Amino acid sequence: MPEQEVTLDNEVGLHARPAAVFAKKAASFDCDIKLVKDGNEANAKSIMSVLKLDVTKGDAVTIRAEGDGAEEALSDLVELVGSL
Amino acid sequence: MRTLQGTPGSPGVAVAPAWIFSRAALDLPEEPVEDPDAEVERLRDSAEQVAADLDARAAKAEGELAEVLEAQAMMARDPEMIDVAAEAVRKERTPAARAVVDAGETYAEALQSSESEYMAARASDVRDVCARIARRLVGADDTFSQMSQRSVVVAHELPPADVGELNRDLVAGIATAQGSRTSHTAIVARALGIPAVVGLGEVEVDPTDEIAVDGDSGQIFVQPDEKTRSEIEGRAARAEDRRRHLIERAASLEGDTRTRDGHRIEVAVNVATEVELKAGLEAGAEGVGLFRTELLYLDRTNAPSRAEQSEAVRSLLGLLDGKRLVIRTFDFGADKPVPFLNLPSEENPAMGVRGVRLARDQPELLDDQLAAIADAASSGDRIAIMAPMVATAEEARWFVERVERAEMEAEVGVMLEVPAAIFMAEEIAEVCDFLSIGTNDLTQYLFAADRQNGRLGSFQDHFAPALLRAVKTVCDAADGRAWVGVCGEAAADPLWAMVAAGLGVEELSMGPEAVLEMRVSLSESTMHGCRAAADAALQASDAGGARRAAEDALG
Repeated sequence: MPEQEVTLDNEVGLHARPAAVFAKKAASFDCDIKLVKDGNEANAKSIMSVLKLDVTKGDAVTIRAEGDGAEEALSDLVELVGSL
Repeated sequence: MRTLQGTPGSPGVAVAPAWIFSRAALDLPEEPVEDPDAEVERLRDSAEQVAADLDARAAKAEGELAEVLEAQAMMARDPEMIDVAAEAVRKERTPAARAVVDAGETYAEALQSSESEYMAARASDVRDVCARIARRLVGADDTFSQMSQRSVVVAHELPPADVGELNRDLVAGIATAQGSRTSHTAIVARALGIPAVVGLGEVEVDPTDEIAVDGDSGQIFVQPDEKTRSEIEGRAARAEDRRRHLIERAASLEGDTRTRDGHRIEVAVNVATEVELKAGLEAGAEGVGLFRTELLYLDRTNAPSRAEQSEAVRSLLGLLDGKRLVIRTFDFGADKPVPFLNLPSEENPAMGVRGVRLARDQPELLDDQLAAIADAASSGDRIAIMAPMVATAEEARWFVERVERAEMEAEVGVMLEVPAAIFMAEEIAEVCDFLSIGTNDLTQYLFAADRQNGRLGSFQDHFAPALLRAVKTVCDAADGRAWVGVCGEAAADPLWAMVAAGLGVEELSMGPEAVLEMRVSLSESTMHGCRAAADAALQASDAGGARRAAEDALG
């Protein structure tokens, strides 16, 4: 299963708008996508699930994708996190 | 009759039937559902309708409110939350309305326990979204547009999505369990002239109850007795008469406010939001005398971007159309903590590192704000910038230089609210274009009396001769050097304003609700009378005496 670790480098982490932007992007893919922080897993397509993870600046998170188009989803989301 | 005590949120009184806006009032069904698949279908439909409605509101909103609404629309469509609710419907045969509220609650609780204030605030957004879906499922009202008669809106708190929809013709009054004088609900209610009591702690009323709201005393009366009812109705009728009379008297007013003998006194409005500016301009405000910029910073875990700050200034400049905008640079510190600054707590924050002191400590924060203002300005705009909490001439010089470095066309001034600055007003006026007296903080510091402490409330009387003499000292010192304005609560009292005009104050800035009456009062006065009132009030030995002396002098 393709997965990649990224470190949140923007000021807010995945708190405010970035969480909404991230979940929206994730929801545009068919495959299952998880966001993992400290062993806790969130459904990347669920804004509430992502918010609950409480990702702040400097946190390392892993994005994990499985299913059709997983590779593409992963690279797009990693790029998105880098640009937040 | 039950009497509940809260905080005055917006002045005025009203009596009308209750219109309950709250999750608690929702009667969630208990009966197990017969056809779970159909119920899940209803759940998905209702959630999508709520999401679409929130998207539509977001499209009409601006700035932070638009962001909150967009995020809420996504919450309504949240696949995981909907799945959790759908599973409860299928497995437990729980009615969808209850299932969605329960599902939302598990997220809300997790968010609420976060250390971040921002996350805790999202908890109420989640609850609000789920309650909206549930209301739609049970067919309950959820927006003011469905209100059929003039009512008092009773709520735990009003979500930002709904505050923007308040309608003065239908909403007679507001009573909320949460909130303070500076909460969004109170600000909007004041701007729209709707009486409001906030921070009641708990408001348990029935939909059939009649509610009397007293926004002056901060009380509400549930099922008021005949005596209370007629008293409130009488006050409401007198207020309405006064308002109508005021509008008649104002009909002949044109352009700038001038006394009968031709002296110009600028009547401006204090704002933190666009709603207040719109209300102020409608009442004839000639500019903004105080734009509080703190709203952009408070409750933020990150500094607002330069573009965001610039947009906030630009939206006001657009409405002002060439009228002056006086911007107060950020006035916070240990007294009003902002999460992203991680400021150390202080023993005595009111006298601590705040206002211009914080700006000197972290000049990049000020430079960023000044750059944002410079970005927003275009030709034809009239911008003035002032620093809060200036105590010395040296601080004033530092600030003026900082603004000059930002290279924009703007008047530069300082707020006078620290007693030491009153004694140095001449030296400060030498380097500034204007001085703006902040009477609330100045009074607090003159009397060494905490303005938040109710037991010291008597010190906050703006007719105190010590305050009047401070205003005179400033006006005399500034004469020929800088213009003088007043932007504290005192400036909203017409009698005080006349005394201030008599002392030499050229601009008065107040909440939007006070603008119309002020323009009428000043237009009906004479500078000759104002000076006589000022002379008389200055001689008094106490506040009561000063007020009476001013009244007598004006006849």
